[in-house]
Amino acid sequence: MEKNKTSEDSIKILNRRSFIIIIFGAILSLIVSLRLFSLQVINFNFYKKKSVENKLSIKLTPPLRGDIYDSKKNLLAGSTSMYEFVVFKNLSKDHFHEIKKLDSLIKLNLNFDEITNQLKKYNEYTGFSLTRASWEQIVEFEKNKFLFNSIKIIESKKRYYPYQNFSQIIGYMGQPTKSSEPYSKGVFHLEKSYEKHLRGTPGKIFNEVNAKGKTIREISIEKSIKGNDLDLTLDLTLQNYSQSQLPIEKKGSIVVIRVSDGSILSMNSNPTFDAQIFENRENNKIKDILNDDQRPLFNRAFSGFYPPGSVFKPISALVGLQRNLIDPQKKVFCKGHSSLGDRNYYCWKKEGHGKVNLKKAIKESCDVYFYELAKKTNIDDIASLSSNLGLNKEYDIGLSNIGKGLVPSKKWKKAFLDESWYQGETLITCIGQGYNQTSPLQLATLYSAILNGGKYPIPKLDKNAPTKFTGRSLNYEHQKIIINSLNAVVQEPRGTAYKLSISNPEFVKIGGKTGTSQVIRIKESEREDDQYKSKEIEERFKDHSVFVGYAPYDKPKYIASVIIENGGSGSAVAAPIAHKILDFAFKNNV
Amino acid sequence: MLSKIMFKEFKSIFNLNWIYFFILLIIFWIGEINLYSAAGGSLDPWALNQLTRFLFFLPLFFLVIMLEPKFIFNFAEVFLILVLIGLITTLIFGYTGMGATRWIRIAGFNLQVSEFTKIALVIFMAKYFHKLNAEKTIGLIKSIFPLIVSIIFFILVAIQPDLGTAVIILALGLVVIFYAGIKLIYPLLSLGVILLISPILWTFLKPYQQNRIQIFLNPDLDPLGKGYHIIQSKIAIGSGGLKGNGFLEGSQSSLDFLPEKETDFVFAIFSEQFGFTGSILLISLFFIMFLIPVLKTYKLTQVFNKIILFVLSFKIFFEFLINISMTIGILPVVGVALPFMSYGGSSLLSNLIICALLLNFMSISENKRMFS
Repeated sequence: MEKNKTSEDSIKILNRRSFIIIIFGAILSLIVSLRLFSLQVINFNFYKKKSVENKLSIKLTPPLRGDIYDSKKNLLAGSTSMYEFVVFKNLSKDHFHEIKKLDSLIKLNLNFDEITNQLKKYNEYTGFSLTRASWEQIVEFEKNKFLFNSIKIIESKKRYYPYQNFSQIIGYMGQPTKSSEPYSKGVFHLEKSYEKHLRGTPGKIFNEVNAKGKTIREISIEKSIKGNDLDLTLDLTLQNYSQSQLPIEKKGSIVVIRVSDGSILSMNSNPTFDAQIFENRENNKIKDILNDDQRPLFNRAFSGFYPPGSVFKPISALVGLQRNLIDPQKKVFCKGHSSLGDRNYYCWKKEGHGKVNLKKAIKESCDVYFYELAKKTNIDDIASLSSNLGLNKEYDIGLSNIGKGLVPSKKWKKAFLDESWYQGETLITCIGQGYNQTSPLQLATLYSAILNGGKYPIPKLDKNAPTKFTGRSLNYEHQKIIINSLNAVVQEPRGTAYKLSISNPEFVKIGGKTGTSQVIRIKESEREDDQYKSKEIEERFKDHSVFVGYAPYDKPKYIASVIIENGGSGSAVAAPIAHKILDFAFKNNV
Repeated sequence: MLSKIMFKEFKSIFNLNWIYFFILLIIFWIGEINLYSAAGGSLDPWALNQLTRFLFFLPLFFLVIMLEPKFIFNFAEVFLILVLIGLITTLIFGYTGMGATRWIRIAGFNLQVSEFTKIALVIFMAKYFHKLNAEKTIGLIKSIFPLIVSIIFFILVAIQPDLGTAVIILALGLVVIFYAGIKLIYPLLSLGVILLISPILWTFLKPYQQNRIQIFLNPDLDPLGKGYHIIQSKIAIGSGGLKGNGFLEGSQSSLDFLPEKETDFVFAIFSEQFGFTGSILLISLFFIMFLIPVLKTYKLTQVFNKIILFVLSFKIFFEFLINISMTIGILPVVGVALPFMSYGGSSLLSNLIICALLLNFMSISENKRMFS
C-alpha cells in the first residue's frame, strides 16, 4: 500500500471540489436565510395574527332567554333552573363506558348512537349535556357518585311553559347541535321565528388555551345579556276558555281576533300537546306525540285547510253586487235545485226556499240563489276579491307550517290540473265548496275585512308590532247589505243561527254565518235518498261544522272562527261554541 | 501494546482545536436552553435528560479524539460490517415505534443504527478513495462500487422506513464520490437518471411518505391533519419576527400547538423565541463550525484525512440545513434531526463521535507513510 506517490493534481481536484461544495452550502444557507426573512420580517404580521388566534379560545356562556307574555303580562314562557348530567371527556378516558353505566343505573333511555355522534363534535374540555336530571335521579346519582369520574351534575336554565294551551303557538326549543353554540335554540313556531329577538347575547369568556383546548388562564369576561321579552296579543283566560269549549273527542279549532287591529286573541286547536315535554326531553312521550295519528303538533287554526262552505257566500254576494250581476231586492225562486246544462245543483233545503232575495239568501243560506248568481259570475272575480279580503294568503306572523290555502281561478286550474274551467265549478265554488281551501284564521280575517270595509288589519301575534292595513275598500252600501244579512242570520227568525238568540238571550248579541264543509261530494242519488243526513254515516265522512261570528253585532269588536271536524252542520255545533266564546270575550273585555 | 496501536500519545490532547470544541459546547448549550423552554421553562422532561446523556457520552467522545487515525483507517471495513449487521438486526429484531422499526436495544439503550451508518460509510469510502487516489481521475467503473455500497445502505434504512436518514446516507455517499474527484459528467448523469426514475420511486414510497410530500407541496390540503406540523411550525417561526418573542415567551410552543417540538421541530421553538436575528446567528455558528475542519483540509495531502474532515463536517451542516428547511416549509418533513439541538440519544451520540473524529483529524500532523 504505497501511498507516497500521491499526485499533486488529484489533491488540487479535491480542493476544487471542496470549494464547489462550500459554495453549494453557502447558497443553501442563503436560501434558508431569505425564507426566514420572508417569514419573520416580511410576513411577520400575518403569522403574529395567526399565533394570537391560535392561543385564544372564546367560550360562550348561554344568555338568559327572553320571556313570552300574553297581552296582560301573564307569563307564557320563561326560564327556570334545572340540572343536567354533563360529560367531560377530559376527566376520564372511560367516559363512554360511564355513560352506559349511568344509563343502566338510572334508566335514562339514552340514544347512544346519537350521543356518540354528538360527542365527536365536542372538544375534551367542553361539557356535553346528556339529559335532564330529576330530583330522584340526582339522589340516585349522588349515592353512586364514586362510579363516575367524567359525569357531573350541572345547573343550567331551562324553558318553562306554564300553560300547555299555548304550545301550538309558542312552539318549543331544540337541543344544541354545535360545540361552539352550546345552548338550545327555538325550533318551532314563535320560539323559532323570534329566536333572534328572544335569544339575547351570549357571554364570552376569553381563555388562553393550549393546543388541546385546555385553559391555561382566563383573560377577560363579557357578561351575557338577556334576550328581549315578547308580548303577545293572546289572552290567557280566553285561550284557556276556548280550549275548554272544543269538544275533547273532536278535532277542531277556534280563532278569535280583534276587529280593530287584527290582534289574535286566542287560537286553539284540538288535539294539542305540551311543549314542556320537548323541553324536558321526555323521549318516550315525544315519540308518542310524533307518532300520534291525531297529529297533535298540527295547529288546525292556520295549518288546517277546509272548504269554507256557506261562510264563503258573502264573497260571492259582494262580487255580484260589485259587478252589478244582482239587484239585492230582486227575488230568485228556489225550488230546491238549479240546473246548468243537463246537471242539477241542489240546495241544502230539499223542498226549496221559495222566493229569495239577497238578504234571505244569506240569512237562510239558500244555495240556489248563489247558483243563479254563479251562472253569471266569472270565477276570476271571485278569486281576486277573495285575495283582497284575506284569503289565498300566507300571514307572516312567525308560525311554522302556516299555509296559503286556495281560492281557485282559471289560471290556477290550468297550471295545476291542466284543465280548463267549467262554469259548473263556479257554482260549487260560490257556495264555498269545490276547490276552496281556507283555514280558520283566514276565515276570521275574511270577516274582519268585511267588517272593516275592505281595508283590514293583517292578523298579528306580536303585541308591539304596528298594525298594518291591507286590502281595497268596499262600496259602503254593499258592505251594509252584507252585514245586515249576517246580523239577520242570528238575530232574525228563520236565520240559520237564530237558535242562538233563543237559547241564550243573555249572551252578547252577535252576527255571523254558518257553514257546512263537505268532506265528500254527495251523489245526487244519495241526496234524494236522504242518506246524506243519515246518522249512520261514517264519522269520518261527516261534514265539518263551521261558524264565523262577531260581537256585538251592531259595533263589532271580536270575531270568532270555529271549525269542528266531522261535527255536522254549522248551526248545530260550531255556532253555539262561537257564541259562548264571543260572549266570554265581550264580558271579560279581552 | 494494543493501546499503542489504538491510541495516540496522551499529550496530543493539548493540540486540540479548542475554538471548534467551544463552538460545539455553545451550540449544545443553546440546544439545552431550547429544550428547557420547549418544556415551558422546565428541565423536565427533556433538557436534563439530554444533559445527562451528553455527560455520559463525554468519555467516549474523548476516547474517539485519542484514537490513532491509522487504527481507524485499518478498521474501516470492520466498522461498516458492524453497522451492516446492526441494520439487519434492527430490521429483524428491532423495536417498533410510530410505524417504523428504527431502534435496537443494546445494554438498556435504544440505539438507532442508521445514525452510525453515516459515519461508517464515510470512513469506508474515504479509505476506498484513498487507495485509488494514485490515479488522476476516478472513472465511472471505480466509482460504481462505492455507489452500490451507498445504495445498499440507503435501501436498508429506507425500508425501516426512515426516508430522511436514508436520503442523507445516499447524499453523503454521493458527496464523497464527488469530492473524491470523479468527472462532473457522472454526478450530472446520475442526477438525470434519478429524475427519470423518480415517478417509479414514488410508487415505492409508503402512503404516509407520499402524503408528507404532497402536504409539503400544499399544506393547506389538510390543515388539522398532516399539514398541521408545517402550518404550526411556520406560524411559530413567523410570529418570532425580527427580534423574537424573548426567552420562554414563545406562545406557539409553550401552549403545545407545535407537535414534535422537542425533536424535528426544535428550530421553530428557537426561532419563535429569538427571531430572525437569533436564527441568522445560529446559521452563522453552524457555518463556522462547518468551515473550521474544511479549512484544515486545504493543508492536508492525505486523501483519507481530507475526506473524513470534509465530508463529516459537511454532514453536520447539511443536516442542520435540511432540518431548518423542513420547519420553514421549503422541504418535505422527512424526519432529520437538528444536530445537538433535537432531543434524542442516537443523534447526539453519533454527532459527538463525528465531532470527536473531526477534532482528532484536525490535530494530526501528516506524514506520507501514516497509512502504510
